[in-house]
Amino acid sequence: MTSQTPFLVLDHVSKVYRRNQSLIERIRKMEEGGTKAVSDVSLVISEGETVGLVGESGCGKSTLARLVSGLMAPTQGDIVFRKDPAGKTPRLQMIFQDPYSSLNGRWTIEDIIAEPIKVHRLRRGRAAIRARVDELLVQVGLSPTDAEKYPQEFSGGQRQRISIARALAGEPQFLILDEPTSALDVSVQAQILNLLRDLQKNLGLTSLFITHNLSVVRIMADRIGVMYLGELVEEASAEQLFRKPKHPYTRLLIDAAPNMDTSDRSLHPIAGELPNPAFPPAGCRFHTRCPFAQDVCRTAAPPRKATPEGGMFRCHFDLDLSKEVKTPPLAKVKTA
Amino acid sequence: MTTPLLDVRDLTVTINRDGRPITALDKVSFSVNPGEVLGVVGESGAGKSITGAAIIDLLVPPLKRTGGTISLNGDRLDQLSPKEMRRVRGGKIGFIFQDPMTSLNPVITIGRQLCDAIETHLRLGGNETKRRALDWIARVGLPNPDVQFKRYPHQLSGGMRQRIVIALALCANPSLVIADEPTTALDVSVQAHILQLMRDLHRESEVSMMLITHDLGVIAKMADRVAVLYAGRVAEISPVAELFANPSHPYTRGLIRATPMPTADGGVQLDQIPGAMPGLGAVPPGCAFNPRCSRAQSDCRSVVPPLVTQESSAFSCFHPLERDVA
Amino acid sequence: MTSVVNTPSAVRPRRSRLSKLFHAVCYAPGATVCAIVILLMFVYAFVTPLFSQNPFEFAGMSVLDSFIPPMWMEEGMSDFPLGTDDQGRNLLTAMAYGMRTSIVVGILSVVIGLVLGGGLGLIAGFVGGKVDAFIMRVADVQLAYPALLLAMIIDGAARAALGAERNVTTAITIVVLSIGIAFWVQYARTIRSSVMIERDQDYVSAARITGRSNLSIIALHILPNVMAPVLVIATINLGIAIITEATLSFLGIGIPVTTPSLGTLIRNGNNFLQSGEWWISVWPCLVLVLFVVSVNILGDHLRDVYNPRLRGRS
Repeated sequence: MTSQTPFLVLDHVSKVYRRNQSLIERIRKMEEGGTKAVSDVSLVISEGETVGLVGESGCGKSTLARLVSGLMAPTQGDIVFRKDPAGKTPRLQMIFQDPYSSLNGRWTIEDIIAEPIKVHRLRRGRAAIRARVDELLVQVGLSPTDAEKYPQEFSGGQRQRISIARALAGEPQFLILDEPTSALDVSVQAQILNLLRDLQKNLGLTSLFITHNLSVVRIMADRIGVMYLGELVEEASAEQLFRKPKHPYTRLLIDAAPNMDTSDRSLHPIAGELPNPAFPPAGCRFHTRCPFAQDVCRTAAPPRKATPEGGMFRCHFDLDLSKEVKTPPLAKVKTA
Repeated sequence: MTTPLLDVRDLTVTINRDGRPITALDKVSFSVNPGEVLGVVGESGAGKSITGAAIIDLLVPPLKRTGGTISLNGDRLDQLSPKEMRRVRGGKIGFIFQDPMTSLNPVITIGRQLCDAIETHLRLGGNETKRRALDWIARVGLPNPDVQFKRYPHQLSGGMRQRIVIALALCANPSLVIADEPTTALDVSVQAHILQLMRDLHRESEVSMMLITHDLGVIAKMADRVAVLYAGRVAEISPVAELFANPSHPYTRGLIRATPMPTADGGVQLDQIPGAMPGLGAVPPGCAFNPRCSRAQSDCRSVVPPLVTQESSAFSCFHPLERDVA
Repeated sequence: MTSVVNTPSAVRPRRSRLSKLFHAVCYAPGATVCAIVILLMFVYAFVTPLFSQNPFEFAGMSVLDSFIPPMWMEEGMSDFPLGTDDQGRNLLTAMAYGMRTSIVVGILSVVIGLVLGGGLGLIAGFVGGKVDAFIMRVADVQLAYPALLLAMIIDGAARAALGAERNVTTAITIVVLSIGIAFWVQYARTIRSSVMIERDQDYVSAARITGRSNLSIIALHILPNVMAPVLVIATINLGIAIITEATLSFLGIGIPVTTPSLGTLIRNGNNFLQSGEWWISVWPCLVLVLFVVSVNILGDHLRDVYNPRLRGRS
């Protein structure tokens, strides 16, 4: 597996959102500040693999999705796809979070699903295209009679199925999923996740799955990257990440989401609040909230360390975090 | 047998669409005991938020309460005049909204908003009111209350705003707090803070709470008893441990099994309930869940199952799931 | 295999656009009435001249028949159902010629405004940045002038430039251009703000990832989504354009009195309003009002019909 040429390589990718400068700043030619939404992220995705990215709002995971999809260019670093023998880059498709804004409300379902087929010339002739659309509709659990309808005649879950059908219509070699189920209800989310997993298995898709929900990413991904304030702080196989996380943030994030165990009702908040991504803390970005933080964390950015299992993490220490972190009961939670 | 603090019987809410009334809440009954946290779960459109709004008479037209009784401490809330209702709202019943940005007035400082709420319901007089407001800012965990007092909502982070909303809900010493998706708009790490805060304040003040959410994880950690709503009807009400261990209604079990959870083994296929919840006005005859239910029989398709009480729990199902004896 | 794939297509019959429109009109009787009124007026304006002598040519005038009141009044004649004017022109036919000119001027100037404003608005909204800033500042400057004043300025400038070489065709062209240019800002602003919203929608991103070019994204995705409000403005502007033309002609700086338009007819009749010959100006006024009101109501309904976002809600 590892001997293969990687499918996608992110090499020290950064993205800075420039802020609007005031007139005085522009006249004085002051250095442009800006929010580093994605900071020095390196990641390798192999063929047939699903890599998950998790993190809270402002961690840069959606920006990274847009960089990979080519909707935005990185400020620094390279995003390189493996080229096929003919020298062409693989076809991409993306599934978006909001099932309402991701479908053109003036197009019929047939036109929406047929668009990638027509653009990439995957089928020729009206009859062949229509047959393919019908086939895709059945594949995502809808009916061919739906092809005549408009998106607004469908519920959120059905719209997400249409989005999936459109993505599959482009016969993508690489699929980007940006929070595909977070706008959906639990029972519908389960349907969509199951559908996506079946498709993964049957089509052998390589994909990047972005979500804020650790449980969802655990079900969907082979490997998982955890992002915090624009940085990739840990990356490991799904199993490894949940069993033996190496970065304190990963551990605390796993504990913070309430599970359905009613015998242990303790809550595990992460101390402090998410800092403003425009002004990340110096040193290790997580030091303001980390229970293990020491002086070195406040001054020096932690190096990127590789694990024997093939993962990586950014922490000064090599902590054993396989158990829940026992933080003292927070009688009065102090915010930063 | 304790007398319940809040008792809702056969609460019915209809929505008027093109002159045709459509039932949004169909004879919903439940109660909240003193000092208890009642969790209300359901998917979007199940009627959770409408239930909360109906209790404090904040239904937005064309929604309208058309039947049922609501009593708080024996007083009938459904018979109060709008003026009397205003005193209950924010006074005897506090309310925590989902979106902290829209539930705070953006052009008034948070200190002023707290003082207004305290003054309206407790009438303490200037200095005492301000002292209370500062006290509340500290109690909900914001540093430097004197500084925060003069700040505007947009100067606070989402988590801090939600803390202020909680302070506003609790500052008039209500006997019941209705929290409608209080942590849905927040990140995981902030959510745990807010839940912890709500738990601490609940223990200190022994206020009763109605916690409306779609998140079963939040329910498992916070609620004492749980009411499960489906398509505007109560599917099941059970103590929390029993609900997760031995659900009676097939929908409850389906919901639990459809929820991906961190403790679940990564390789397991998620159980899914086929289909989707019927929309307003499209509820099938009989049990609303029957088209999606694997246990449905002919009676489920014709008769609406009544809410049957059995020991500590109640459910509306003709063919409930068997209890595990072990 | 083929049979399996082919059957589903067979079971979905296609409803034609015409039948969809027909159904929509049936649900809106008010709009239907307006549509019929407009249709009748078009027939009146474009068919009458085929069968009658142009009353604005010498052969169509007869001073002997001047100032004949409508037929139901005393002295009225059944040959001239709505009466005649000072030159003895039959008002019924004169108004048909006038409406023809007004409608042509109105539609052409709306099209010019729409193409100019719509194009600039699309560019401003889609490209953004300095291009957007420039176009919108020009629009702001133009907005400082009332549309009528602007039309007068353009009209005057053109007259000065062309001098004595003017004929009727150039006069009409100048009126069309000046009205069209006077109204582009409205289209540009509306389209620009809609484009800026649509540009960032996920469906546009999806099309871009699929490999659509900017041009086809604008044409296929964005344009259909921003057209609805513009079409409503365009229909309402058709009314305003006709009124503006009438106003310019009434003021004597638009279409020369020798060419019939609703404006010149009203202007001409205005001279005799005080002396009791009210019919000469009142009929063209009524026709103008009826036409503009019908166009506005129809425009509002068309927006609802052609916006599938409002459909499927009930």
